[in-house]
Amino acid sequence: MDKNIGLYICTGCSIGESIDVEKVSNIAKNALRIPVVKSHFALCGNEGIELIKNDIKNEGVNTVVLAACSQRVKYEEFDFPGCIVERAPLRELAVWTQDGKENAQLAAEDYVKMHVIKAQKGDLPEPYLMETVKTILVIGGGIAGMTAALQSANAGYEVVLVEKEPQLGGFVNKLHKKVPTAVGEYSEPLIVDTDIDKTIKEVESHPKIKVYKSSKVEKTDGQPGAYDVTISSNGNSEVVKIGTIVLAAGWRPYDATKLEHLGYGVSKDVVTNIELEEIAKKNNGKILRPSDGKEAKKVAFIQCAGQRDPNHLPYCSAMCCVTSLKQAKYVTQNSDATAMIFYKDIRTPGRLEYYYKAAQNDPCVMMTKGEVTGVADAGNGNLYVEMENSLLGQKVKIEADLVVLATGVVPATVDDPILNLQYRQGPGLPDLELYDGFADSNFICFQYETRRTGVYAAGCVRQPMNMSEAQEDATGAALKAIQAAEHVAKGIAVHPRAWDMTYPDAYMQRCTSCKRCTEECPFGAIDEDEKGTPFYKPGRCRRCATCMGACPERIVSFKDYHVDMIGSMMKNVSVPSEDDKPRIIVLACENDAYPAIDTAALKKMNIDAAVRIIQLRCLGSTNLVWVADALSRGIDGMLLLGCKFGENYQCHFAKGSELADYRLGKVQETLGRLQLESERVQMIQLAIDEYDNISKIIHDFVERVKEIGPNPFKGF
Amino acid sequence: MPEQIMTQPITQIISPDLKFVKDIIASGGESLKKCYQCSTCTVVCNVTPDDKPFPRKEMMYAQWGMKDKLISNPDIWLCHQCSDCTAYCPRGAKPGEVLGAIRKMAIANYSVPGALAKMVGNSKYLLMLFAVPIVIFFAIIASLGNLSLSSIPRGEDGGIVYSKFIPVPAIDTVFIAAATFAAISFVLGIKKYWADMSAGISVQGNLMGSIKATITEILAHKRFEKCNVTKDRKTAHLLVFYAFAGLAITTTWAIVYLYGFHYDSPYPLYDPLKLLGNASALALLYGITLVTGNRLKNAEKAGKGSYFDWLFIAVIYAIVVTGILSELLRLANIAILAYPTYFAHLVFVFFLFAYAPFSKMAHMVYRATAMVFARHTKRD
Repeated sequence: MDKNIGLYICTGCSIGESIDVEKVSNIAKNALRIPVVKSHFALCGNEGIELIKNDIKNEGVNTVVLAACSQRVKYEEFDFPGCIVERAPLRELAVWTQDGKENAQLAAEDYVKMHVIKAQKGDLPEPYLMETVKTILVIGGGIAGMTAALQSANAGYEVVLVEKEPQLGGFVNKLHKKVPTAVGEYSEPLIVDTDIDKTIKEVESHPKIKVYKSSKVEKTDGQPGAYDVTISSNGNSEVVKIGTIVLAAGWRPYDATKLEHLGYGVSKDVVTNIELEEIAKKNNGKILRPSDGKEAKKVAFIQCAGQRDPNHLPYCSAMCCVTSLKQAKYVTQNSDATAMIFYKDIRTPGRLEYYYKAAQNDPCVMMTKGEVTGVADAGNGNLYVEMENSLLGQKVKIEADLVVLATGVVPATVDDPILNLQYRQGPGLPDLELYDGFADSNFICFQYETRRTGVYAAGCVRQPMNMSEAQEDATGAALKAIQAAEHVAKGIAVHPRAWDMTYPDAYMQRCTSCKRCTEECPFGAIDEDEKGTPFYKPGRCRRCATCMGACPERIVSFKDYHVDMIGSMMKNVSVPSEDDKPRIIVLACENDAYPAIDTAALKKMNIDAAVRIIQLRCLGSTNLVWVADALSRGIDGMLLLGCKFGENYQCHFAKGSELADYRLGKVQETLGRLQLESERVQMIQLAIDEYDNISKIIHDFVERVKEIGPNPFKGF
Repeated sequence: MPEQIMTQPITQIISPDLKFVKDIIASGGESLKKCYQCSTCTVVCNVTPDDKPFPRKEMMYAQWGMKDKLISNPDIWLCHQCSDCTAYCPRGAKPGEVLGAIRKMAIANYSVPGALAKMVGNSKYLLMLFAVPIVIFFAIIASLGNLSLSSIPRGEDGGIVYSKFIPVPAIDTVFIAAATFAAISFVLGIKKYWADMSAGISVQGNLMGSIKATITEILAHKRFEKCNVTKDRKTAHLLVFYAFAGLAITTTWAIVYLYGFHYDSPYPLYDPLKLLGNASALALLYGITLVTGNRLKNAEKAGKGSYFDWLFIAVIYAIVVTGILSELLRLANIAILAYPTYFAHLVFVFFLFAYAPFSKMAHMVYRATAMVFARHTKRD
């Protein structure tokens, strides 16, 4: 589009007092040749907005550059549909964080220039539109899956529910009773009917839910909004068009045969918590011993059986403590019976602490902390539970006539991709070993997210949890699935760039099929054809631009974000000629590092005058050519600020910051060959709450670069 | 490196006693099961020894019904129920009240005959317990033909003379019998208790020294000073304690007057015996009122106390009130009220004496014994 740029300089928030606005205006008019340059004391006020709107209407301005505050504020006021809007954050980066008028002025001039160039290089986004459906596939017909199905269907969406068993209900079918739901304190009865039949009936009779029982997802092809899912039931296959997916494939109990030291398989009277449910259900609530059918009166519950144990499940299964408290109430329905619970720690998070209190307040329920070391024959048909370091004594044994092992949760995804995705990167969700096989993520703000766009995990397949948590989870995941289906239909990205209408556009004539993009895309958005040429499935893309950073041919671009745009911004940063005044570029991730800088600015913390900051979608979009471009122009150093990576990554695109670090390792070798010190380019991991470290991090880096000395290319 | 001798802990077999748990709950420890073993109680307790402190472990034993670990445990008596633990317990488990209930059960366990202890601890049997002195004293009055109050002989000045209503030797016979019964019961109980406490522990050293030190401590009420929540208790308990001592001296003195000097009551108000007796009675009234006031004031933080506690307080109240009234009514010469009041006074005194080994009164003996034992074994 032919751009008619209007530059609006705000003089409010003390910008006007700190910088020479007229000088900036003259640079814009004369050097940058911007036709419309205006200033106002409060651009965000009605008068300021009207001024801009008037220019759009009467002066033909279609590209608005606001030299005012950060783009992270006032975005609702500065919204001009049909126009490119670019924000040069003078307030934060020139006024609040710079010492002295001179530094503020130089920074303001640079930021205005950089953002005018950014506006010049950008284009208005157009959404990627394709034919989509909004049907939601729910995999798993347990309590989570059924809840997700009902929630989606009641919100008006078509739902396809796939269950591998011949009936719906999942593990709840096996339960004798459940923990009631309460607000605040719990009171008797502490065990209530599951009423799962009602939910099953509701699902099966819902006009918007199609249920496939004894079925599996054989293949998931395509992309969000346009998935072709092959469902196989009893040897027949059917392809169904699907929009987005809720993965609620559930769990299975840990294999108790590995717990021989706790007597499982040795004595018939050692059972798992699931088996106890079956006993209670079969005998109408009576707890009868498997060995002789007599009513158990001294029941020992061993918590964390094969859990929180590096030899078995290393994690806590979250629901076993409450389950045992509930099952203790099964036992104590007989007021002569005792239920003894041996725990490492009782973990009853949230409101369940009240359940713990209520269930514990029963003379027949006895509890002690300690390490259970084994279960042995007591010689009289009963068993001894042996414990060490217990609250009852250093070494104790307690007689029981039935031992219940609180075994843990193993997610269905631990050894089965379930989704059977037809993605180049594989059939399942990647890197689940980080979560012991659970379909979880480190997306703290978006817990149902997976590394496959349009697939949202809920229930015990995501994390160990109890029934009510699974229902809550399912509701959340259903909402995310609905949101994703709607966004894909409009051609907008899903989280975290949920406003973004751009999409990666590759100039394929220059593609060398090196496949770096297909390997590195954190979301598996790029497949390849029979000839090995990559192609995008834009519905899967989250617009992090990792592919843009990866591409050695630099052929990937977005309408408002591309290699040349950022490169040009860097090239137009002023480079002081004095040797003791270095110029350093900081590339900051928009998710954590840049907001942290904004916060530092708000707190008026100083940022070294040597740096100019550029915001990136993700450090994963860092293309190495930028380093070469900047350093060859005389820039003395580059600092990359991105999210924490590795096992506890905080990268909003999972792999972006890790890939940036990997690429930097490569470029540092190259710098060495060019006789440039590799220390001139550095990456630092920064969390959003570390704003108070930013001044120091930047200052230390500037000092290091000063020690190295000026860039020898300076002045060329 | 010096060689270390590893001592293998002995495996104990734990046998939970559900009935014992239910008994504690029924005896005023209904909050027992709320404990989740955070140990806040032992941290805030100022009277526990640092090594193996109470009351956390006692709460655990109690939840599991480990009777043997509790009944013979001197720690339950080292606790003076300051109720700091109860006030700070995050779960409302009221360790102070639970230990109180356990003490009641310890008293019941050691006192002979045990059945009587069960009756004293249960409101169902209250009337039956009172029936014993009522019947005894009624029989005495009836046998003397004193049922018609107007026919009871008066003193030389026409005033009421209680010894003409019920002769002192008759009273003394009844009370000596009751006191002997109580003393024997105490001796048997303490013997058993001491044996249980010292089982498996080699007790040696200067027992007399420990007894002396304990008595000195009790006389000064030092322990009470360590309490925070129920700080005011020291004065109240001290008053009650010394008032009882004063009344004991008064009684002995009266015996000397009567049998030594054949000097009959009533004594004039200026008689030193009378002065001591009246002063002690007033101190007891004031002390027991303070006790009650403190209990009511602290009920929210320290717990409201059990039937066992309140029965004891009520009996003391009844004794002191009927005692003072007997004297006043006698002086006022209101026969119709004076004789019944005096009768009631005798009934209450009998209740306190005869049932002392089974009521909360026994705490005096068991606590003192436990304190001697703890001192003697270097526990405290």
